[in-house]
Amino acid sequence: MSGKHKHASPLIRNAGLRPGVFLNDPRAGSETGAPVSAASAVPLLSRRHFLANTAHGLGGVALAWLLSRDQAHGAAPSSHPPHFAAKAKRVVQIFCCGGVSHLDTFDYKPELERMHGKTLEGKGENLGFFGQPGKVMKSVYEFRQHGRSGAWMSSLLPHVAGCADDLCFIHSMYAKSNNHTPATFQMNSGFTLNGFPSMGAWLSYGLGTENENLPAFVVLPDPRGLIAGGSINWTSGFLPANHQGVPFRTNSREPIVDLNTPADIPSKARIADMNLLASMNREFAEAHPGDGAFAARLRSYELAARMQSSIPEATNLDSESDATKKLYGLDDDSNKGFSRNCLMARRLLERGVRFVQIFNGGSFGSPRINWDGHENLKENHDTQAATMDRPVAALIHDLKQRGMLEDTLFVWATEFGRSPSTQGINSPGRDHHPTAFTCFLAGAGVKKGFHYGASDEVGYFVAENKVTVPDFHATILHLLGIDHEKLTFYHNGINRRLTDVHGKVIEGILA
Amino acid sequence: MVGLAAVLCPRLSSAADSSAGPVDPARLPVPAATTIDFTRDIQPLLSANCEKCHGAEKQKGGLRLDAKSAALKGGDDGKVIVPGKSAESRLIHLVAGLEPDKPMPPKGERLSLEQISRLRAWIDQGAPWPDDGKAVRVRNDHWSLQPVQRPDPPTFVNRKSQIVNPIDAFILSRLVTNGLALSPFAGRAALIRRLSFDLIGLPPSPTEVDAFVADKSAGAYEELIERLLASPRYGERWGRHWLDVARYTESQGFEYDRLRDNAWHYRDYVIRSFNDDKPYDRFMKEQIAGDVLEPLTGEGIVGASLLVCGPWDEAGNGQANVTQRTITREEEMEDMISVVGQTFLGLTINCARCHSHKFDPISQEEYYRVKSVFDGVKHGERPVASMAETRAREQRLAALRKDIAGAQSIVARIESEGWKRAAAQRRPGAKELPGPTPFARWTFDATTNFVMPGKLKGGAKIEDGRLRLAKDGAFYQTAPLPRDIREKTLEAWVAPADLKQGGGAAISIESEDGSVFDAIVFGERQPLKWTAGSGGFERTRDLDAPQETSPPGALIHMAIVYRADNSIAVFRNGVPYGKPYTPASPLQTYQSGSARVLLGMRHTGGGRPFLTGEIKQAALHDRALSKEEIAASFQVSGLAVPQAEILAALNDTERAERDVALAQMKALREVLNGVKPVPMSYVGTRIQPAPTKLLRRGDVTLPGDVVTSGGLAAVFDLEPEFGLAADAPEAQRRLKFAEWLADARNPLPARVMANRVWHLHFGQGLVSTPSDFGVSGARPTHPELLDWLAAKFIESGWSVKTLHRLIVNSATYRQSSAIDDLNRQRRDSRQIANHESEIINEAQRLDADNTLLWRFPPRRLEAEAVRDAVLAVSGRINLEAGGPSFRPFDALKFPANAFMPVDKIGPEFNRRTVYRMNVNSGKEPLLDAFDCPDPSVKTPRRGVTTTPLQALGLMNNSFVQRHAAHLAERALKESENDLPRAIRTAYRLALGRAPTKEESKRALAAAKSRSLTNVCWALLNSTEFVYVR
Repeated sequence: MSGKHKHASPLIRNAGLRPGVFLNDPRAGSETGAPVSAASAVPLLSRRHFLANTAHGLGGVALAWLLSRDQAHGAAPSSHPPHFAAKAKRVVQIFCCGGVSHLDTFDYKPELERMHGKTLEGKGENLGFFGQPGKVMKSVYEFRQHGRSGAWMSSLLPHVAGCADDLCFIHSMYAKSNNHTPATFQMNSGFTLNGFPSMGAWLSYGLGTENENLPAFVVLPDPRGLIAGGSINWTSGFLPANHQGVPFRTNSREPIVDLNTPADIPSKARIADMNLLASMNREFAEAHPGDGAFAARLRSYELAARMQSSIPEATNLDSESDATKKLYGLDDDSNKGFSRNCLMARRLLERGVRFVQIFNGGSFGSPRINWDGHENLKENHDTQAATMDRPVAALIHDLKQRGMLEDTLFVWATEFGRSPSTQGINSPGRDHHPTAFTCFLAGAGVKKGFHYGASDEVGYFVAENKVTVPDFHATILHLLGIDHEKLTFYHNGINRRLTDVHGKVIEGILA
Repeated sequence: MVGLAAVLCPRLSSAADSSAGPVDPARLPVPAATTIDFTRDIQPLLSANCEKCHGAEKQKGGLRLDAKSAALKGGDDGKVIVPGKSAESRLIHLVAGLEPDKPMPPKGERLSLEQISRLRAWIDQGAPWPDDGKAVRVRNDHWSLQPVQRPDPPTFVNRKSQIVNPIDAFILSRLVTNGLALSPFAGRAALIRRLSFDLIGLPPSPTEVDAFVADKSAGAYEELIERLLASPRYGERWGRHWLDVARYTESQGFEYDRLRDNAWHYRDYVIRSFNDDKPYDRFMKEQIAGDVLEPLTGEGIVGASLLVCGPWDEAGNGQANVTQRTITREEEMEDMISVVGQTFLGLTINCARCHSHKFDPISQEEYYRVKSVFDGVKHGERPVASMAETRAREQRLAALRKDIAGAQSIVARIESEGWKRAAAQRRPGAKELPGPTPFARWTFDATTNFVMPGKLKGGAKIEDGRLRLAKDGAFYQTAPLPRDIREKTLEAWVAPADLKQGGGAAISIESEDGSVFDAIVFGERQPLKWTAGSGGFERTRDLDAPQETSPPGALIHMAIVYRADNSIAVFRNGVPYGKPYTPASPLQTYQSGSARVLLGMRHTGGGRPFLTGEIKQAALHDRALSKEEIAASFQVSGLAVPQAEILAALNDTERAERDVALAQMKALREVLNGVKPVPMSYVGTRIQPAPTKLLRRGDVTLPGDVVTSGGLAAVFDLEPEFGLAADAPEAQRRLKFAEWLADARNPLPARVMANRVWHLHFGQGLVSTPSDFGVSGARPTHPELLDWLAAKFIESGWSVKTLHRLIVNSATYRQSSAIDDLNRQRRDSRQIANHESEIINEAQRLDADNTLLWRFPPRRLEAEAVRDAVLAVSGRINLEAGGPSFRPFDALKFPANAFMPVDKIGPEFNRRTVYRMNVNSGKEPLLDAFDCPDPSVKTPRRGVTTTPLQALGLMNNSFVQRHAAHLAERALKESENDLPRAIRTAYRLALGRAPTKEESKRALAAAKSRSLTNVCWALLNSTEFVYVR
């Protein structure tokens, strides 16, 4: 067996690995990706900046403990080299739950106007979730061209339309399922089932982190509610647990669970307790030489203490300028707090988080809190767009003005599109539609003001350059320098991949 | 090896048109001069060289050479074998290269002249082929498929003292070859801690440690083993391991993630089975077919839950699109086949869903044969009782219900008479009868209904002869149905408060949990419209009917008829509302004793289920009314005749008769209510499935041939063909499979289970991929030992506890975990005075992963064991076993569930972690950080990570804080508030040892300057606490 590539990155380590060797190692703490290098770095923050924020929140307590031990020095971050030169170092994804209508946003179909009120024929079995399609319905919004690239976009998302020349649209997306959760799972993990590692977990596993003081994969749920399936959407599945997405409670003084020292424990006491614990753990590790896991535990407490400062610092928006706050719409309640998440995402990216996933929309609710416009598409999309449009455009703009769009990949996705015909007779709603929809990318390594693929005359099927979800994932990995066929992990008989046995890089959109 | 493909494609020339040039038989090798035996001489040749392209999976050119009839029939271009005439047989031409464009096999080595001679001789001798119509099998040479042998343990002359049982001989044999040895025994305190965590998942108490350390008798260790194996805590520990593999979950996952309130029966079954040391072959059979094994027991029924205890896509199963629904079902079947294959056989049969297995000898056809075995298994719950119990209970209930229905019909007949008279008085001159008599009617001037009395809920009121539903949450719910209702008519006189509302229902009939229902729904999928609402919209259609315009407060008469032919017709104010239709989903039977009627609510557990407004009258008919009857019923709309008028219209005889019947009903109903419900459990339901078809490329739109149920041919010593027809009864299929699986000649289950037990004792398996014994899985590090264990396991009557005894008794298990102990020993025995670190380096260099087990591998406790240990040492653990799970979360129900983990306080929440409700979409952060897997993932081995989030959890989680305080409190109490003694007690409780002098001193200082709780916090956070050595 060849499981002895001890210090190689998982990419290399798992490439020729006989199944399941390293997980079995009693030193699995180090072997499965736990951060055990000598010390961590604060790459995008100076130590002074770090210290300046110690007064903020309870995290300062632990940091003071760390500094008293004089261990807060920098060293190489525990990131792993990619397969080949990466265009992107990090990813931010906006995920719009519920299924955004491509026909009413980015995929202009004049034919729908001609067909309006007629019965759509010749498309085979009805693909909707509820069945019983009514007549064809033209877009409920006006379309016009935007930017120098002349992108046709609807009046629904004026701010996003303002970014048209930075965006790279894929109009030929194709989902495997017409059912929310399987389709969402597929977008997140490549599979339509529960329990497969999400893309963020794969990235954490493949690339590690650039800042050990923050999780590699951060999830920012919609303040209005969690997406259906909750944590299944950011699970590490069968990958080691340290790669799972960490959901941030973006409106809480404790952004992640168990971050803060309990309020009734005085700072001094906690510092003394941490010292006591450290001596116990150090003595134990010294008494048992050769077991790396024991040293890893010592180190994990140091990192935990750092996180107590770094997470509140990263999620605190107070230091942002008024102009920035205004840009995102923090002053405007109509986006229901979604603007905070977008701004927070930029801060997290700046600080080296590998993958930030921002959900726009949660599950169900009455009225709905996602893009699932079954009953009345216009009413629904109007409401959702009011939350999403400005903050998303602001994020793109902000990344760009800070030069971060150069090496950050921006992804906007939804699980499927919506049907050209109404759902039910005389209804103003649209049903789920998996066989053609639109997503877009921007930033590192992708063409600007570009349109790839096309749906047919009414946006029903893909007409050219079909892009499956595995293709989409393969491309994202490619931009991060990862060969999607080589990023594997053995689980129950199969060297699993994000892209299963499918996926090809969409060469046509690469800059 | 590739086969005859290209040549036999219809597009290419056939032998008949001979474009490849004339065949010259003289160029063929001469036929062999011996008598050919097909099985011995020909079949292996075909199997090795041809079947990859012309076998069960692929039939290039339409040709199959693995089965008699197909082979003799030939391919798309006709026959390739002409019995008696080898020179004219195209098979011979092709393998001999007479058609130069199409040499066969096209890749790899060609057949030798000798082989071709043999083939010719066979054809010339008439191409005899055994007449059983199927391929002759050849044993695959993969290690795990060979019969289990019981190898003799190696013998040692010099190291006998190190050998406690044969396990040590096998282990030592490899160690010695590599210049290593077993480490000395661990100290007794370490040993009891190790054994306790391993067998029962809890730390030993200080008293137990003391007793064991002091007990120098020869049998002390064996006694300890027996005590732990006999503890009910043992099943909780090992049951949890099993649940990892079984992907046991207590919620559905996917969109709705509904809770499975009664899935715990299976968890308890597993725990019980381990505690009882149920023979493992029986354990396997029950989990495959326990619900059909004679004699039928509640235990067996629950066992079969394994098949469905994973996630289930309710939305996907309920949606309108047939293709997508079928895909959802196929995914479900793959999950089921995965769990059966991986858990028991260590084979990933699931990899053969779209194509034959890439590595293992499992064909795509076999995947579908196994699928056929389980095709009748559906998700859902069912009663758990033995056949005899069920029958007796059902007879009793049926008799009671019959009597109630009899009395009811008397009341209904008399009241109906009274109704007619009273109604006629109110409408003098009306010619027609005032409508049909319902099975149950609700009016709200007084209760006239005794079939299904009900309760006002959520602020519903009765005022002015109407049921007032002023706000969301108000509704009326009846008692359970007194008998089954199938075809039916729902009827309501309703006035919505406003027409903007949506999703509520005037009247609904629903199953106990509300997942199945039929209802008169307003404005749900389409605003302003009425529909026949149903669970998952299965029987719902958007109707081409006008939008509602009725002003607030005005009564509308709505009726929906559900006919026996499954057609559904909706009526508004006595006339059809949209066209009648027939849904794809069948007519529902609502079961007596559990189903009920709701007024003002769509169904239990639904989103936006409430109707606001008023209901003047509602009725449930146990038959489909004609449109004339509906019209008549509408005619008497508003004729909610007051009870008093009905009674007044009766004569004395009628009144007396009615009173007697009512009294009878009351008495009978009390008896009925006293009959305890049969417990329900998430065991799955069963249907008789349609014959199973192979799906080409796993694609539901490409069905192929029908296949019958069977096992795997790779299990060579067993017959894979069950002899069942394609339409064989569902139960028969699983019974046959269970027999096949648990047959002692099947070499896989015993090996797989022996390895699991080993793996969980050492943290590493003899095979490091415990659910994959296939070609891509790991090879055993000690194959003879694995076989020896498997053989002992079978000999013991499949006793898992026997495996434990063998393993934990061994010197291998009892070794020290310290690296330097081995070095010390080596130094002593071989007089090497190297620097210690060099020796460590050498040991690490020789076998860094400790694959050969030169020491006991230290292991971090699993998530559950960490939590249980915290509870145990704090003294607050609640050892109540079994029953419904505790729920440490708040659940938001929309209709989907969202779970917010909450650290709830109270004895219920101090139960062992195996009794925690294990839901999919809301992970418990502390357990999660300790690598507690997603319940939906089949997890034969858990990850072990060390992360800052884990540290934060132990540092700050309120559960840990609280129990640190409890530990301090306990230590003080047990030490009569003497602080130094309390520190000693806390150390002994948490770490199983007393503190050193240094440690005591330091802890005392800490406790004095802060508190003992702070010291206890450090103990619970310490590496030593979460590790077993």
